[in-house]
Amino acid sequence: MSSVTESLGGNVSTSAPALDLHEIQATVLRPRPAPYFGAHVLLRIDDARAGREFIRRLAPHIASATNWWNAATAWLEIGISYAGLEALGLPKESLQSFPEAFRVGMAARAKQLGDDGVNDPRNWEKPFGQGQVHIGVSAFSDSEENRRRALAVAREQYEGFSGVSVLAMQDFGAQPGDLNSLGYKDGIDQPAIEGSGVEPRPGYGRPIKAGEFILGYPGEAGILLPMPQPDILGRNSTYAGFRKYQTRVGAFNRFLRANGSTEEEREWVAAKLVGRWRSGAPLTLAPDVDNPALGADPQRNNNFDYANDPRGRQVPFGCHIRRMNPRDTKLTRLTDVNIHRLIRRGTTYGPPYDPNALSEADDEVPRGAIFLFISAKAMATIEFLQQEWINDGDFIGANGERDPIIGRQEEGATFTIPKEPVRRRIRGIETFNVLRGGEYFFMPSISALNWLANLSG
Amino acid sequence: MATQTATANRPKQGLTVDEKIQKLRELYADAPEVGRAALEHGLPMLTQELAAPPHAQKAGRIGLRQGQVSELCVFLPFVKGGAKRLRGLLQLLEGNFRAADAVGTVHDMRFVFVDNDTKLLFATAYDGDFDPYIEDFATKIPNAMDLWLCNCEGYPGMRNPKAAADWIASHQIAAEAWYVNSPNLTAAETRRLEKVGKAVEELLDKIG
Repeated sequence: MSSVTESLGGNVSTSAPALDLHEIQATVLRPRPAPYFGAHVLLRIDDARAGREFIRRLAPHIASATNWWNAATAWLEIGISYAGLEALGLPKESLQSFPEAFRVGMAARAKQLGDDGVNDPRNWEKPFGQGQVHIGVSAFSDSEENRRRALAVAREQYEGFSGVSVLAMQDFGAQPGDLNSLGYKDGIDQPAIEGSGVEPRPGYGRPIKAGEFILGYPGEAGILLPMPQPDILGRNSTYAGFRKYQTRVGAFNRFLRANGSTEEEREWVAAKLVGRWRSGAPLTLAPDVDNPALGADPQRNNNFDYANDPRGRQVPFGCHIRRMNPRDTKLTRLTDVNIHRLIRRGTTYGPPYDPNALSEADDEVPRGAIFLFISAKAMATIEFLQQEWINDGDFIGANGERDPIIGRQEEGATFTIPKEPVRRRIRGIETFNVLRGGEYFFMPSISALNWLANLSG
Repeated sequence: MATQTATANRPKQGLTVDEKIQKLRELYADAPEVGRAALEHGLPMLTQELAAPPHAQKAGRIGLRQGQVSELCVFLPFVKGGAKRLRGLLQLLEGNFRAADAVGTVHDMRFVFVDNDTKLLFATAYDGDFDPYIEDFATKIPNAMDLWLCNCEGYPGMRNPKAAADWIASHQIAAEAWYVNSPNLTAAETRRLEKVGKAVEELLDKIG
């Protein structure tokens, strides 16, 4: 099994996992397979009894994180929105025990999230942001065949009885080389979690306290986060922010062409925006030319810090990966980087990235990424990241600039590349990934799921 | 949410300049003579101010903000012996505040003991909003915060960051008005510009 464990985490730890893995949903800990195939299904509950019956039938098919480090051919994950918990008939005092941002939902928190302009919930696709999405079921699998099989299992539980309806379905994955919608290898860096049973791979930093990611365990501050009540509902459950982005591939390619006259120059600019070459090779370890073998090697492709790059000459301060995990970068604001991390399950949908797509029509091709951002305080963390690390730059000395990949850009946005003898400032940054919808989901533990299924009323 | 903010930023009641001047005349009708005279003589500059677009924004939960800079002002009742301890601590620190340096967003702080040493008036100008960073305070500088705030009544301790943030907000008194000379300069940007300025001077020295 060792080759399998290496592909999923690090080496299996010699000490027993401190987490109740049999209670935690697999998706919280298990990364997507490589290659990956899957689908998100969004459902509405029209009748509380039918909704609970659906959950009761689906629960045995929701994978737990037991032996999550072993590869699996397919698994199902479930999230329930606040509107969904209401629709299931959760008692009032229990509903009130959820954090406010979760209760009002992602669309109502647009101001705190900086989801304005093109990202404004008023521009979102149906059915997002309207209190309609009650349940999200996601299937992850390693082949087209297994995706079909997993989805069939989910479908059997909701098809044929009224009271639960499918609002939307989105296939994902199956991209050649698992590249994302801008042509990069993604999903490399993930937080290491204490007690998960696997040693972190080189470069992943010290394991972070489990309570940051799963309810019912101490977090980095040494205390338990407030949990939804009753206890059986909260413990080993967590939250996921679901965000659907549409990638404007034409705009991105036009931007690269405007800033690089040869393919080599364009790839250099593309690497500077992210902090990695498209192969996944980090600029800290491959500053001048791409090294695809490095990008493909999970033991090496995340094994770096910024000790030798204090001025951002390899990895610009404002680039995507340095913002999303500043590691040892000296920040301008007192920050504990370990309390602002998210587990992210990125799922690319639509046709693969096309470097020759240049037209405005190409911007409208349904293609992009749906993220599940998982954390025990997902709402607060996503708001923090959106406000501080994505749509601002002051914290890292990139004043007035935003994340070039997922930021919501203002007119005339720039991106600064520190360089000898003088920095290069690139203009024409646009919102390359437009938010098309989002929801907050509660990811119940296996026991919580069964408890929900057996609510009376 | 969005509409509320828009309303807050709109000029109060949407008055014209003439209407605002009229309103001021009413307000100052029973003012002392020196005030009434000042209103008439000061009209040229006042008119400019009244005609300018509104400049005040809301800070995080409570308080005002201009550009990047927010104000925070709290009245905190001392616990028994708290005033003596805090005064002693502040005197021994002699103006050195490493934790504030570390926070990085604090422009200034003042500690004023009022009402016969029964209350602390703490006032500061800082960048952005402190709520998103309260947990960072809890994991990074809990001792500096606890040493200071343990002297005040009801302080829940930094190990409970959410409660600490709520406690601070509950004692906060919003300013009626807030002026910042360079509203777009964060403390970090000020330090950066200081460095850039020094480098430019050095370069000019070499050329000259």
